[in-house]
Amino acid sequence: MIRRFRFLALFAALALIAAACGGDDSSDTTAAPSATTTTAAPATTTTAGGSTDTTAAPTDTTPIIIGAAVDLSQNMAPFNTPANRAAEIMVERINDAGGVLGGRPLELRTLDATVEPDVVKATAIDLIDQGAEILMVTCDFDFAFPAIQEAIQANILTVAPCIGTDAMGPNNLGEEGRIAFSFGDQAQDEGAVLAEFARDQGWETAVVVKNNLLIYFQDVVDAFAVRFEEAGGTVVATEEFTGFDGTIGSVVTAVANEEKDVIAISSGFDDLPAFVFGLRALGDDTPIVCSWACDGTFWYQEGEPLNEFYYNTKVSLFGDDPNQDVQDFLAELTARGGPPATAAWLGGAQAVQAIAEAIEATGGTDAAAMAAYLEGFDNKSLIMGEVTLNADNHTVFGRPHRIMQVTDSMPAFLELRTATSPADIR
Amino acid sequence: MAARRAWELIGPVLLVAAVGFVGSLTSGSMEFQFRSVLVIATIVVALHVFVGNSGVISFGHVSFVVLGAIAAGVATTPAEIKARSLSELFPFLLDLQLSNIESLVLAAVLGGVFAFLVGVPIMRLSGLQAGIATFAVIIITNNVFRNWDRIGPAARALGPIPETTGFLQATIGLVLVIVVAYGYQRTRMARMLRAAREDPAAAQSSGVNIYRQRLLAFTLSGAMAGLSGGLLAHLLGSVTTEVVFLDLTFITLAMLVVGGIGSLWGAVVGALSIAGLNAFLAEAEREVGVFGFDIDLPSGTRLVVLGIIMAAVLLFRPSGLTGGRELSWPFARRGRVAPGG
Repeated sequence: MIRRFRFLALFAALALIAAACGGDDSSDTTAAPSATTTTAAPATTTTAGGSTDTTAAPTDTTPIIIGAAVDLSQNMAPFNTPANRAAEIMVERINDAGGVLGGRPLELRTLDATVEPDVVKATAIDLIDQGAEILMVTCDFDFAFPAIQEAIQANILTVAPCIGTDAMGPNNLGEEGRIAFSFGDQAQDEGAVLAEFARDQGWETAVVVKNNLLIYFQDVVDAFAVRFEEAGGTVVATEEFTGFDGTIGSVVTAVANEEKDVIAISSGFDDLPAFVFGLRALGDDTPIVCSWACDGTFWYQEGEPLNEFYYNTKVSLFGDDPNQDVQDFLAELTARGGPPATAAWLGGAQAVQAIAEAIEATGGTDAAAMAAYLEGFDNKSLIMGEVTLNADNHTVFGRPHRIMQVTDSMPAFLELRTATSPADIR
Repeated sequence: MAARRAWELIGPVLLVAAVGFVGSLTSGSMEFQFRSVLVIATIVVALHVFVGNSGVISFGHVSFVVLGAIAAGVATTPAEIKARSLSELFPFLLDLQLSNIESLVLAAVLGGVFAFLVGVPIMRLSGLQAGIATFAVIIITNNVFRNWDRIGPAARALGPIPETTGFLQATIGLVLVIVVAYGYQRTRMARMLRAAREDPAAAQSSGVNIYRQRLLAFTLSGAMAGLSGGLLAHLLGSVTTEVVFLDLTFITLAMLVVGGIGSLWGAVVGALSIAGLNAFLAEAEREVGVFGFDIDLPSGTRLVVLGIIMAAVLLFRPSGLTGGRELSWPFARRGRVAPGG
C-alpha cells in the first residue's frame, strides 16, 4: 500500500513545502541575498549634502523602495546590468545628499527577472509584495510587459531605464498605462537622427536591414527609411529576417549584391556580428549605420578590424564624451564594477534622478501625481542632459545623440546630433 | 473492476485538486507559480492524448497552444487598446469582444479545427517523418504569427489581456482536460489507436483505420491544446509568439516523457513534478523560505538542476516516473497489476 501511494506521498510533501514557501511575503531587507541586490543608505535623521539645517529632524525616515525586476542573466543583461549599476550609484548620491522628502532614503531592491514571462511576472509580484512603491523593468517592452502589468495593477509608477519604443504610456497601454515611462530614446528618434546623419554625409542610396525579432529593431529601420526618403535619399532595398532564424547568411549575400551608399540596420545578439563581419568578409566596405543596439564592443570579432561603421548612442563609453558629468559618472561606474558593456547605464541613472524629483515635487509616491509631473518634462535638465516627455510620449525624444565612428574596431565620438523630429512611422 | 477503472481518473483528479487547494493557500509570486504549473500541466495532458495513445511524437502541438493564446488574447483585449496598438488587425478582429469563457471556447474550437486541417495531410505519416512534419508545423505557425499583423500582434506583445486564469479556472481547466482525456482513452477508438501504436500491421489487418484514428486523436488533442493556450494567455496577461514556441515545445514533451509517455497518470505526474520543480527553483533563485530556512540559489541554477534531473530520470527510469502505467488501484491484492495505458 505504501509503495502504491509513493507518488501521492511525494507530491503531498512537495505541496506542503510549496505551501510553506508561500506563507511569508515579508522579507528581511537588511540581509541582502546574493540574488537580491539592495542599495540604500541607512535610515538616518541626519540631513546630508546641501542642507545645513540640522534642527528640523525628519519625522519619517523609512526608505522608499524602488523595485527593479530586470534581466541580469539572459539576453537583456548587457543593457540592464549597467543601467542597474548606475541606478545604484544614483540612489547612493541622492541618499548622501539627504534622501527625499526631508530625509527618507531611497532603496533600490533588485531581483533577476530573466526574460521568461512567468519569471518576470513572479519577480514583479515579489517586489511589490516586498513594498516596492516604484518598479523598474527590463529594457525591452515585450520582455518587460508582464512586470509592467503587475505595476499597473498595483497602481505604482513603472519606469524602464532604456526601453526604446513608444510602447510605454497610454498610446499603447490605454489610460491605465499613463503611469508607465521609459528613459530610453524612442526608436523613431534614433532612426531619424541616423537618416539625417547619413544624408549629411552625401549618401544617396540606402539598403535597410530589418530584424523582425523585436519591435524596437523594426521601428528604428522604419524610421530611418521614412526620414532618409523625406530628406531626398532613396531606399533601394529592404532585407528582412527574424533574429535567430538562421537566415542571416542569405541576408548578407542579398545586401552585398545591392548597389548602395549606406546600409542601415538595428539588430543584436548573434545576428549582429554575423551580419556585419559576414558583409566585410565578402569585401563589402559600404558604410553601415546602426542604432544604439550596436553600442559597445562586446560583439566585435577578434582579429577582424571593423571600419566604416557608425552608430548613435546615449553617451560615449570611450573616454571622449563631450559632457564632463558623463565622464565623471562613467569613471565612478567603472571603478566600482568595471566598464559597462553599453551606454544603457545613462537611463538607469536618469530614471532614478527623475523618480526622486517626482517624489519631491508631488510629496510622495502617488503614481498618478508622479506621472503628471513626469509628463511635464520639457527639456528638463537631468544629470546628463535634457529630457523631454509629454502626455503622448512616455519615452524620451529630442535628446542629443552621440554619433560614434568605429575605426579599426575602436569607437570614437564623432559629433552630437539631435533629430529635427521623430520620424512618423505609425 | 469499475472502481479500479474509476481510480485511474480519480487519482489524477485528486492530485490536481490537492495541488490547486494547496496553491490557493499561498500568496504572491508562489500563488502565481502554482497557477502556472496547473496551466502547463493542461498543455501536457493535451499532448498526451495524441502522443500517448498514438505513439507518434508531435513537435507541433504548441502551434495549437499559440493559436489558442492569440485567439483568446485578441478576443478579450480591450477594443480601444487594439485600435491603438493593433490597428492592422482585420476589422472583425478589432471589433471582436468576447467574455473570458467565450474566449476559451473559441480557443478550443480554433485549436481543434487547425489540428484537423494540419492533420489531414500529416497523419498519413509515421515515425520520424511525422515528427519532422509536426516540427514544420510549429515553425510555419510561428512565422505566420510573427509576421502577419492582420491576425495577431506579429512581433509585438499582445495585451493587456484580462488575467482571469485564477485558481478555480486553472484547476477546472486541468480537470476538464483530464476527464476528456480519460473518457477518450476508454473509448473503442482510442483502443484501436493504441493497438496501432503497439503493432500497426496487426491493427491494420484487424480493420483499424490508423489514419482516421490518428486524425481524430490529433484533432481532440489540438482542441485541448487550444484551450490550454487560452488559459495561458489569461494567466500571463500578455503573449508574444516567442513565448509560445520551441522552449515550450521541448519542455512539455520532456515533462510527458519524464512522467511516462503512455499514461494519463504519467502526463499529470510528469507535468506537475517538472513544472512544480521549475517554479520552485525559480522562486529559490530569488530567495525563498522553506520551514524557516532561507534557500537562495544563484541565477541559472534552475535550468542546470532541471536538466540533470530530467537526464537522470531518463537514464535510470527510461519509461518515466510512472513506468507509463495508469495509477494502480490501491486496494488490489498483491501480485495483481492494473493494465497499462
